[in-house]
Amino acid sequence: MPRITIDGVEMEVPAGTTVLQAALSRGREVPHYCYHPGLSIAGNCRMCLVEVEKAPKLMIACQTQVADGMVVHTQNEKVKQAQAAVMEFLLINHPLDCPICDQAGECRLQEYAVEHGTGVSRHDVGKVIQSKAIDIGKHIMLDQERCIQCSRCIRFCNEVTGTGELDFFQRGDRTKIGLYPGKRLDNPYSGNTVDICPVGALTLKEFRFATRVWYLKNTPTVCAGCSRGCNVMVAVGKKQELMTSPGQFDDGIKRIVPRVNEQVNGHWICDEGRLSYIGLEAAGRLPHAQDADDHELDWDEAVRRAGKGIREAASAGRLGVIATPRATNETLHALKSLIDGVGGAATGVQSIHRGEDDNLLIRADKGANSAGAAAILGATGADDVLRSAGEGALDTLVVLGDLLDPADTIDLGDVATRVKQLIYIGPFADAASKAAHLRLPVSAWAEEDGTMVNVDGRVQLVRRCHRPRGEGRPGWRVMLDLFPGAGVEAPDWSSWEDVYTALSGGTDTFRGTTAESIGLLGLSTAEPAPAGA
Amino acid sequence: MEKVLTRNIHKENSQSIDVYLAGGGYEGLRKAVTSMSPGDVVEAVKKSGLRGRGGAGFPTGLKWSFMPKEKTKPHYLLCNADESEPGTFKDRLLMEQDPHMMIEGCMIGAYAMQADAVFVYIRGEFVHGTKVLDKAVAEAYEKSFAGKNICGSDWSCELVVHRGAGAYICGEETALMTSLEGERGYPRVKPPFPAQAGVWGMPTTINNVETLACVPDIIVRGADWFAGIGTDERNTGPKLYCLSGHVQRPGVYEAPMGLPLKELIYDLGGGMLHADRPLKACIPGGSSVPVLRAEECDVNLDFDSLAALKTGLGSAGIMVMDSSTCMVKALLRISHFYAHESCGQCTPCREGCGWMERILQRIEDGKGLQQDIDLLKNIADNIEGRTICALGDAAAWPVQSFVTKFRDEFQAHVDEQRCTVQGAAHA
Ligand SMILES: Cc1cc2nc3c(=O)[nH]c(=O)nc-3n(C[C@H](O)[C@H](O)[C@H](O)COP(=O)(O)O)c2cc1C
Ligand code: SF4
Ligand code: SF4
Ligand code: SF4
Ligand code: FES
Repeated sequence: MPRITIDGVEMEVPAGTTVLQAALSRGREVPHYCYHPGLSIAGNCRMCLVEVEKAPKLMIACQTQVADGMVVHTQNEKVKQAQAAVMEFLLINHPLDCPICDQAGECRLQEYAVEHGTGVSRHDVGKVIQSKAIDIGKHIMLDQERCIQCSRCIRFCNEVTGTGELDFFQRGDRTKIGLYPGKRLDNPYSGNTVDICPVGALTLKEFRFATRVWYLKNTPTVCAGCSRGCNVMVAVGKKQELMTSPGQFDDGIKRIVPRVNEQVNGHWICDEGRLSYIGLEAAGRLPHAQDADDHELDWDEAVRRAGKGIREAASAGRLGVIATPRATNETLHALKSLIDGVGGAATGVQSIHRGEDDNLLIRADKGANSAGAAAILGATGADDVLRSAGEGALDTLVVLGDLLDPADTIDLGDVATRVKQLIYIGPFADAASKAAHLRLPVSAWAEEDGTMVNVDGRVQLVRRCHRPRGEGRPGWRVMLDLFPGAGVEAPDWSSWEDVYTALSGGTDTFRGTTAESIGLLGLSTAEPAPAGA
Repeated sequence: MEKVLTRNIHKENSQSIDVYLAGGGYEGLRKAVTSMSPGDVVEAVKKSGLRGRGGAGFPTGLKWSFMPKEKTKPHYLLCNADESEPGTFKDRLLMEQDPHMMIEGCMIGAYAMQADAVFVYIRGEFVHGTKVLDKAVAEAYEKSFAGKNICGSDWSCELVVHRGAGAYICGEETALMTSLEGERGYPRVKPPFPAQAGVWGMPTTINNVETLACVPDIIVRGADWFAGIGTDERNTGPKLYCLSGHVQRPGVYEAPMGLPLKELIYDLGGGMLHADRPLKACIPGGSSVPVLRAEECDVNLDFDSLAALKTGLGSAGIMVMDSSTCMVKALLRISHFYAHESCGQCTPCREGCGWMERILQRIEDGKGLQQDIDLLKNIADNIEGRTICALGDAAAWPVQSFVTKFRDEFQAHVDEQRCTVQGAAHA
């Protein structure tokens, strides 16, 4: 491996590494705009110029590969002067409308201007004027003036989605970013262009003017939109009047952005997943436990009734259970333990399939935890359970409703009228909930901690990003509360980690893993679940 | 000197293959293909000392030797016929008057590098040249100097003329490749170099029209003959000089490499346009190279002599300016060109070229500020050497040299808020 020296620090890095990658890997920041690890190298911004000894000119760190004995300076006067010059060039035609720009606070132009600029403008001969607030896609707005022509968005549409909607038009300082005639930026991954745009040229309609980024609290979690399980960062708004009391973040989810995981989603997410919070935020919630007549039930009373129904039906061999494939492993394991405790049930996992797998991320199987559900409940499909219920063969049917989108809760048809007791456990006041005789609220996605298994058999952490709505409790806790009423001795679980420990001790897929070992990037399970499971 | 490159141009029907053949044409190609190995051809060109006529003066044989010897992919040769550097009009003459000399050079080069195709990328505005070339290519195919089994050998190579769409930047070697591929004409960051991954990612070599037109005679008359013409072994061969500006007889002149600049202006060019307006300045290599003051004009027009004066032979576009020339206006015109033609890809050139032009316009308009002169120089310094392609340098060099060498004149413009040059024409 080549040995190189960066700012006096010797390091050994693999051949083929670029100077920028080598520097970043050792925590040395070299300012850069056009370089993006998920895209080809463009070398156009010239922000990453560094001095390589013996080279006649400054070199761009993003494209220069290391060579044995190379001595690099990223901070000396020559380099600082070049960085200041590039910053000056980038700013001369920039509108500097930070006060009304959504990017403010996470804008690389602002950041580098402070760190590497001179702070004064020598430019006084009129800026190039371009258009603002252009609607270029279902979710995307463009401000041409703010564009620093880094070409990241163009490369994304050419290299990642292969859809090629964007390009530069005109030349020189009249260069404009824009759409090809007749095209719109409507590919299923369009939102990523907003994330990678280093400035506020591309903004997401759903996030424009919604809040300031410094009012957001971010939590790393996993998207529940489909079985890919893309790693994401969920940003929850902080109520502005609560600014003074830290920790009071609860103005709902304001946006979802990708979190890098080369094993799962690389740098990207799809628009459906990105915007999945909107339906969730808008959905009507089940405020508290209820009976069929919408009367509020005391929680203890509600779980006692539910447990009793479960026990009685099970002892007659007439218990049915249908679970959403978006429930966490912990909820499903608690459910499974309950079922085993009462002597078994006709069990099904709902299948949510839409569209087709694409060749990037999107999976037709929208069950974010289909693989986990199959491993834990040993069941696929809910048709048999629904049929038995429809034929009058079940007394009690427990439905664990969807946790992301009320429209995805299983369609029960008139099954409710064929069973003695329909118990709905879910966050929403959806159709299944309305048909139920007993309704128990649980927390939705992003409101509870736990794990899921993606299509490649990777166990990943899903995290509580904000306070549950209403009286929603984590699913596994609700299950645990049903044990006494069902006449089953309750396990001694006080956290989701306890449930996971029990799960990994008893279910092959999870054997040998621990809650602590999963980490932010997930863990591949020994036996990957079969695709489409 | 006996004419080499221009020996046919005054003949009747000089464009036709029959006239070219009658003058011994295609003997070089026949000789190369039938009696020399590709390596022999590369060696001959190396030995001749031929250096690129497109601007950078890179040794041609050396460039050819960078191509992979083992062929694992198609090889391509590109003939750069985009000639757009202001003050340059020699390739046009060759193409329009004697296209077969260039074609023969292309095919010999293609043989030397075992190319599968030659693409001639011709400037979009050269409508007539394209017609002439199209006809000549058809004739070459007909006589088996291109296409299948060239000169009866088992070597085949296609020859394609591609018309550009009118951007100066597409003459830059890698921008020419992206343009040829059907993309926006953007220069590429190097490495990889064209010989590793050029057009369509294949090993590629690119040469200027005049460079390739030199090749047939090197093969027929020998490398030593070619090397014997010129200043020294690093500056060899016959050369076309494009003379323009304030001279009696502007035009293309053929003379040995190293022709004294004064001889070009005063003998071949017939002297200054007006007897009472002496030489003030001269740009010796197309608008991008640093300007020379009159006192610096006792120089030979070759690569190294001009490099010693920190300028260059470039594309051999010699632009002569007399005492009536306003240097502010001249530089404004040049800077306007580069600001207009900058592809806009990289930050310093995209933003800096327009900025320099706007400052120059302000000075020209009589509104210049005291700090403008230093600012201009500083902006140019911040562009030079920091860009993807050499257009950035091409935009910086004139600014640096004009404001340094003619600083007094810029200063007077700012102080007086008007032009102080006697007899200068201002719009
Ligand atoms: C902005 C720019 C424009 C250029 N335009 C031309 C051109 O029109 N014709 C040309 O032959 N070379 C042009 N060149 C030089 C080419 O990049 C390249 O060096 C040349 O074609 C190589 O051929 P040669 O080695 O035979 O000189 C240009 C270079 C730059 C940077
Ligand atoms: S819109 Fe943004 S991402 Fe696209 S080129 Fe401009 S600055 Fe870069
Ligand atoms: S591909 Fe699937 S997991 Fe990824 S963001 Fe989209 S819906 Fe979510
Ligand atoms: S130097 Fe100018 S012409 Fe060359 S790539 Fe950069 S912007 Fe384009
Ligand atoms: S990050 Fe290297 S040139 Fe843009």
